[in-house]
Amino acid sequence: MAFEHPDTASKLSIDRLSKNYILDRKPLRVLLNVSLDVAEGEFVSIVGRSGCGKSTLLRLISGLENDYSGDIRLDGQVISRPGLDRGLVFQDPSLLPWMTVRQNVAFALVNVDLPAPEKAERVAEHIDLVGLKGFESAYPKELSGGMAQRAAIARALVTQPEVLLLDEPLGALDALTRVRLQNELQRIWLRHKMTVIMVTHDVEEAVYLGDRVVIMDPGPGRISRIVDVPHPHPRDRASPELHALRDAVLADLTNGVLS
Amino acid sequence: MTAATNAIKTPILHRLSALRGWVVPVAALAAWDYCAHTGAGHAYVFVPLEQVAAALWDNLLNGDLELSWAASALRTLTGFAIGATLGVALGGVMATWRIADALINPLYQAVRQTPLMGLIPLISLWFGNDERSKLLVVSLAAFYPCVLNTYEGLSGANRRHLEVGRIFLASRGQVFRHILLPGAMPAIFTGLMQATAFAWLSSIGSELFFDPGPGLGNLMLNGQAAFRMEVVLLAVLVIGLTGYASTALITLVSRRVLRWRPVWQA
Repeated sequence: MAFEHPDTASKLSIDRLSKNYILDRKPLRVLLNVSLDVAEGEFVSIVGRSGCGKSTLLRLISGLENDYSGDIRLDGQVISRPGLDRGLVFQDPSLLPWMTVRQNVAFALVNVDLPAPEKAERVAEHIDLVGLKGFESAYPKELSGGMAQRAAIARALVTQPEVLLLDEPLGALDALTRVRLQNELQRIWLRHKMTVIMVTHDVEEAVYLGDRVVIMDPGPGRISRIVDVPHPHPRDRASPELHALRDAVLADLTNGVLS
Repeated sequence: MTAATNAIKTPILHRLSALRGWVVPVAALAAWDYCAHTGAGHAYVFVPLEQVAAALWDNLLNGDLELSWAASALRTLTGFAIGATLGVALGGVMATWRIADALINPLYQAVRQTPLMGLIPLISLWFGNDERSKLLVVSLAAFYPCVLNTYEGLSGANRRHLEVGRIFLASRGQVFRHILLPGAMPAIFTGLMQATAFAWLSSIGSELFFDPGPGLGNLMLNGQAAFRMEVVLLAVLVIGLTGYASTALITLVSRRVLRWRPVWQA
């Protein structure tokens, strides 16, 4: 196959990404030839059944996993290890339990070269941004699930990353908190307009927040279809167009199961 | 008691229920005193409480009790300091450097199986029977639980927490300081609590096995030799109370250090 120049105009470009795990000495193909270009300031949702490799894809972009073939480039630079230019929010908040909210968010800046007062200001700013003002000295054990996840988002954003990666961030929360945090995410994103890639199993959430919805299929993990959501933000959750899109995506996802 | 009745407890009842812990000891003492006064033969074993109280007063007055207590306590503190420090350090080294673990662990496991009291004849031969050997026994007693618990605590680090460290490009030192060590604190404190108890018990025990010298164990032996049961009982009481107090103290410290710990562990 002829070598294709990676598209350096997009913020994040993934070119024929493949990843294998070795299980019982046999290769397990988790991702096969995944290609995706994400523009700057775009919000991309990724949905797919279990085993489609969407979390692995995110971990590869974050640099936590790095044994892959193909290309992942951020602003033209190859990604092969973690970096402060990419923020990551896990499904569980993963706050360090022995640190307060303030200390947890500040930990993100441990290797950022800034004078202490400036660090403190940034930390306070981001805690306020996610709506946790007043809870700076709380320990994770004192926070509800939603609050803990907000703190995790603040921690991911305080390094001012180029790309924010969210791995099913609202999956562990109850439905009402999820809706609230979806609105929060939208608000934060609209304010900062950073590039976001969010993996979720909630199709409605994917359609509500994303500019594009990437649908992935398992066996081996690949992109099956990309759906555009050309509606301006902020969006009306009840709009019939969004509902139609949600139904279309759902139909696509359940196609393999029901047919 | 249901939650409802708990909720409407008056302040007086609340304070009274806190005294629940005293019911059994007081009842036991009352039963003891009853047995003490039902016959001369019984009075030998169940020493009347007045005699124990008199012995307490006498020994306090002539300074015996304070001296004995101070000697045992000082040895305990010193041995604990030495043993716990070395134990935590070794546990840390073994958990951090694989080669240290590979080299030391087999020997450590082998020696650990021998009960401490079984090492006493060997210690006696090599180091003699004086205060130095007693201190060695106490240090060893504090050493073992600290090594083990520190090792477990540092090795069993949460994978997700380590990933958080990786995301923020934490150096090895930063990972140790901000993730591994705080995460291991609950286990380390478990080790320290065990070490406290073992150190105190072995301090008394060492007095019984090696040469006589000042200490509560010796107070007990002297009392026994002179057939003065009330002195023996007094010593036992003081030993028990001190053990209880030292455990309570370290529990208090651990509550402060580990105040971030959730009640349920996910």
